[in-house]
Amino acid sequence: MQLRVFQEGFNYAQDGPGNRLVYHLQGCNLRCPWCANPEGLDPAGTLLVQAEWLTEAVCPHHAIREHRLDRSRCASCTPRPCLHERRNQGIRCSARVLTVAALVDQARRSAPLMFDGGGVTLSGGEPTLQFRAVAQLLGQLQAEGFHTALETNGTHPRLPELFPLVDALILDVKHHDDAVLRRVTGVGDAVLRRNLARACAGHGDLRVRIPVVHGFNDAPGDAERFADAFAALPTDRATFECLPFHEYGKIKWAQCGLPYRMGDGALAAGTLEHFQAVFRARNLRVVET
Amino acid sequence: MRVQPVLSGPSGACCEAEPSIHAIYDPETLGRMAQARFQEERRLDRLDGWLRIKEIQRAADGRLAGQPPMSRAALTLQAMARELPLSLSEHAVFAGSQDDAFARSYALINPAFKVDAFTGYCDPTAVFGDVTPNAEFPQARISALRDYAQTLPFTRQLQAAYALAGDCTHEAVFFIEQVTGHMIPDFRTVLREGVVGLLETLHGRLQETEDPARREGYAAMGQALEAVLILASRYADLCREQQAAAQGPRKQALALMERTLRRVPARPAYDLYSAIQAFLLLWQVMCLEQAPNPFAFSVGNADRLFEPYRRLGPTSQAESTALFKHFLVFFNVADRSWAISQNVLVGGRSNRGEDLSSPSSYALLDAYFAMNLPQPILSVKLHRNTPPELYRQLGRFFFTPGMLTPSLFNDDALFQVLARSGIAAGDLEDYAVAGCQEPLVMGKDNGNTTNSWLNLAKILELTLQDGVSAITGQKLGLSHAELGMPARSALERLGTLRTAFYAQTEGMVDRMVAAANAASRAIALLPVPFLSAFMGGAETGIDTRDDRAQGTTYNGSGCLIHGLSVVADAFVAVDQFLAERPKDAERLIAALRTDFVHDEDLRQYLRACPKFGNHVERVDREARVVAQHISRMVAGKRNYLGNPFRPDWSTPSTHLLYGHWVGATPDGRKAREMLGYGVDPLYGEADSGLGFRVLSTLQLPFELMNGGYASHFGIDPAYFRGPTFEAKGLEFQTRIIAPLFFGQRSEGVAPFYLYVNVTTPDALRRLLADPARYAPSGVYIVRIHGTFVNFLDLSPEIQQDIIQRLDLRSTALA
Repeated sequence: MQLRVFQEGFNYAQDGPGNRLVYHLQGCNLRCPWCANPEGLDPAGTLLVQAEWLTEAVCPHHAIREHRLDRSRCASCTPRPCLHERRNQGIRCSARVLTVAALVDQARRSAPLMFDGGGVTLSGGEPTLQFRAVAQLLGQLQAEGFHTALETNGTHPRLPELFPLVDALILDVKHHDDAVLRRVTGVGDAVLRRNLARACAGHGDLRVRIPVVHGFNDAPGDAERFADAFAALPTDRATFECLPFHEYGKIKWAQCGLPYRMGDGALAAGTLEHFQAVFRARNLRVVET
Repeated sequence: MRVQPVLSGPSGACCEAEPSIHAIYDPETLGRMAQARFQEERRLDRLDGWLRIKEIQRAADGRLAGQPPMSRAALTLQAMARELPLSLSEHAVFAGSQDDAFARSYALINPAFKVDAFTGYCDPTAVFGDVTPNAEFPQARISALRDYAQTLPFTRQLQAAYALAGDCTHEAVFFIEQVTGHMIPDFRTVLREGVVGLLETLHGRLQETEDPARREGYAAMGQALEAVLILASRYADLCREQQAAAQGPRKQALALMERTLRRVPARPAYDLYSAIQAFLLLWQVMCLEQAPNPFAFSVGNADRLFEPYRRLGPTSQAESTALFKHFLVFFNVADRSWAISQNVLVGGRSNRGEDLSSPSSYALLDAYFAMNLPQPILSVKLHRNTPPELYRQLGRFFFTPGMLTPSLFNDDALFQVLARSGIAAGDLEDYAVAGCQEPLVMGKDNGNTTNSWLNLAKILELTLQDGVSAITGQKLGLSHAELGMPARSALERLGTLRTAFYAQTEGMVDRMVAAANAASRAIALLPVPFLSAFMGGAETGIDTRDDRAQGTTYNGSGCLIHGLSVVADAFVAVDQFLAERPKDAERLIAALRTDFVHDEDLRQYLRACPKFGNHVERVDREARVVAQHISRMVAGKRNYLGNPFRPDWSTPSTHLLYGHWVGATPDGRKAREMLGYGVDPLYGEADSGLGFRVLSTLQLPFELMNGGYASHFGIDPAYFRGPTFEAKGLEFQTRIIAPLFFGQRSEGVAPFYLYVNVTTPDALRRLLADPARYAPSGVYIVRIHGTFVNFLDLSPEIQQDIIQRLDLRSTALA
């Protein structure tokens, strides 16, 4: 089986324990305006452009003029000479297609770097969009003794089937209100709530992450409503982490030819601490990685 | 040979009733004095002592013409010790100075340094051009010395060595030099037994041997050792003179200094203070012997050298630190600390795996941190069982902006590398480092480390262009036909590139070896009997530099190899090019020759091909194969004594210099751009973070790099979140050192060297824009390959090199 991957790298303790090889899988069903990896949204992959290097000679179909790419000409172009015999620093496709076997092999070669209880994390995008291949990969990694982690938005109805294959489950919960979530990201929280409840009850290492974004989920009362929702579940084996909004990925929106519609998402001083205090007051185990 | 030293004044009677230095000055006062001494040294903007030495040598040459070479050298050294003016600062608690052994020459800390000033010839008389005439040393006096130096047999023989190299050195195809300094004397015996004890040993050997050459050797070494006794006596007399005008603590200190100098180094050292005093005088004479500019002598395993004497005292850690501050100041010469690359090592393990760090290790670290001087280099030897406390103590070095950072060595790996290259098991724990990163066994190893320099990227360029330089159009190499590989088309030439490259390299290496050995034979005309006494010569009777008989236990010649990442990336790019666009072969050759001036698109194609440092299997494999092939080629060559050359994959700023002479290469690099530093990816080409970069690095054949190698990480301090320096030091161990040095491996030897700059390009640019704000002391230390420098002292080109090579995308930790 094959997987489409748009990024890989190492991360220490932020996507699971220890030093980890993190694969970001192509494709996402949400459209969060603050997304730091917009190149991972389109399941087919995205052309990323660095305009200063892009010359007209790269495209024989004249899709490039004055360092700008006319993406309407790219949709039906295959194979893309700009990515092969005319490859150039100024354009690349986000997605690489790799077999499960190749990924397992890379994990083996990367094992010297998986210290402090590290392993392999699948993230995205939304990894469960490639459900069958993800299941196969997780299974093979576990069988070889690798610690596995999955970071997911929790919206796949079959997510619980992956629980036995995932040593650390990282679940992103973006809003407590279904209507707001649907309006902003495009998908509501019905499936997420069911998966969260099952994970709380049945997964031994659940890590809930809440991206806190000004204007989206930081209004007065939001922290309390999140806490109420979590506290209603059996959370004794779960941890909760609030992640502040950032714009490290902002430049990639332009590189992907996508409009960046995020306004000022920066948190006021003390917001994160408020969330943490509210959570702790509800006996939720708050962590910072 | 005289056995009894000439001593004047008190014969060094027992001093228990007299105050020690710590009773005269508390540690804080000693520290302030060390700072004042350093500032005093920094105000020196002339170094003329070496000119006086040249005049002494010239006079001695005439007077001693009938003497055998070693004796002439030894007696000349005695003359230096007798005739050089001596001084003693009011801030000094030790006598001794290196100022007379160095000129204000070293290029990289010379703000006027320009990359394109490389001349391809290491002219031993060029140093005379680094002196500004003044009333005492007018041009005529300087010129007379220069003219004399040019008549010396050594100079003429060295010129002949360069003639063997032909034009190859002019465009840095390869380079050769006569090696001075760059060794690690073993002073442990002389500190323990005193010079008198060593003289007795030499006298005994002289009596036992009938070999005339060895008899001359023993006798000359004895004569040379007397130079340090002369110097000690003169300094003692100076201390006595200064006592007359001194008062209070200073008077007491001068009296102590005099008493100490009457005892050491003639007799055994008896506490830390006397051991350091003895050491400094021995070092001073060793450097005088090779003046000017014997760069890169190494103290060796300094903590192990001094710890026995610290215990004898006993001296507390604070008191030891205070003395070590003065010790470190000694290694700074004049306004820019011109005695570059002298190395002090701490830490490490024994042959049995026991940790060898001690209170002296931490006292030295405390001294280094408190003083933060541009010299000497600090190197820390690590092993799998290095105690966490050492990493905690290192945290302050890594994470204080503008603070020196140590070189880091992996004993576990280096023991394997050195054992594989023939070092006896019992000697392994005594390896130390000379210069930037050259591993040598203390007192036993003339590695001749910087003897030859090989530029693989230039050879690649010549191979691609049928032997013709793309920079000058001059034919410097062999054509394909001359390599026995006639190629009718560019496509064929590209298709056989590897074979042609290795054949071209073999020919160049043979020429380089011949010239390098000739340079080594030239320097053998200048024996070093004083140094030899501490390099095994006291046993063998043979001069360390002797080119007919081996005076040291181990001997080799180094070859610094440049261009690994460029060549590996180029081979991979050519493979991809041939697979995807073979019809453009002529276009590629032409584009390389013309530096892509009309073919930016082709250059972008090549830039987009996979690069080393990103854990791409085929590129990593290529880099490994290149490193293996060239290392074995170099190690298969024999030096002037029949010993193997030692592959050393380091590039001490020569990645800039040599890159300047290399045309465009198939990895997409433009002409004259820098090469990769050491074994590192070419800057900007590894953008997948530190994890993948380390995984690529782990593929390299470190077991073959017995001459050493260079590697550098520029690390963003923001990745380390510990609340204290100590906590960050442990993080550094966990996230950087452990995976790089001590990670699990199924085969091969782990990496064994690293230096870091923990900063960002923005931080350094802010410093340059507003130095008064970010470095109010005028000193902001950074690493540049194996040595510290004051960033503000560097030329703009070197400053930009450091900024570029921080290469933070290659070391991203998240």
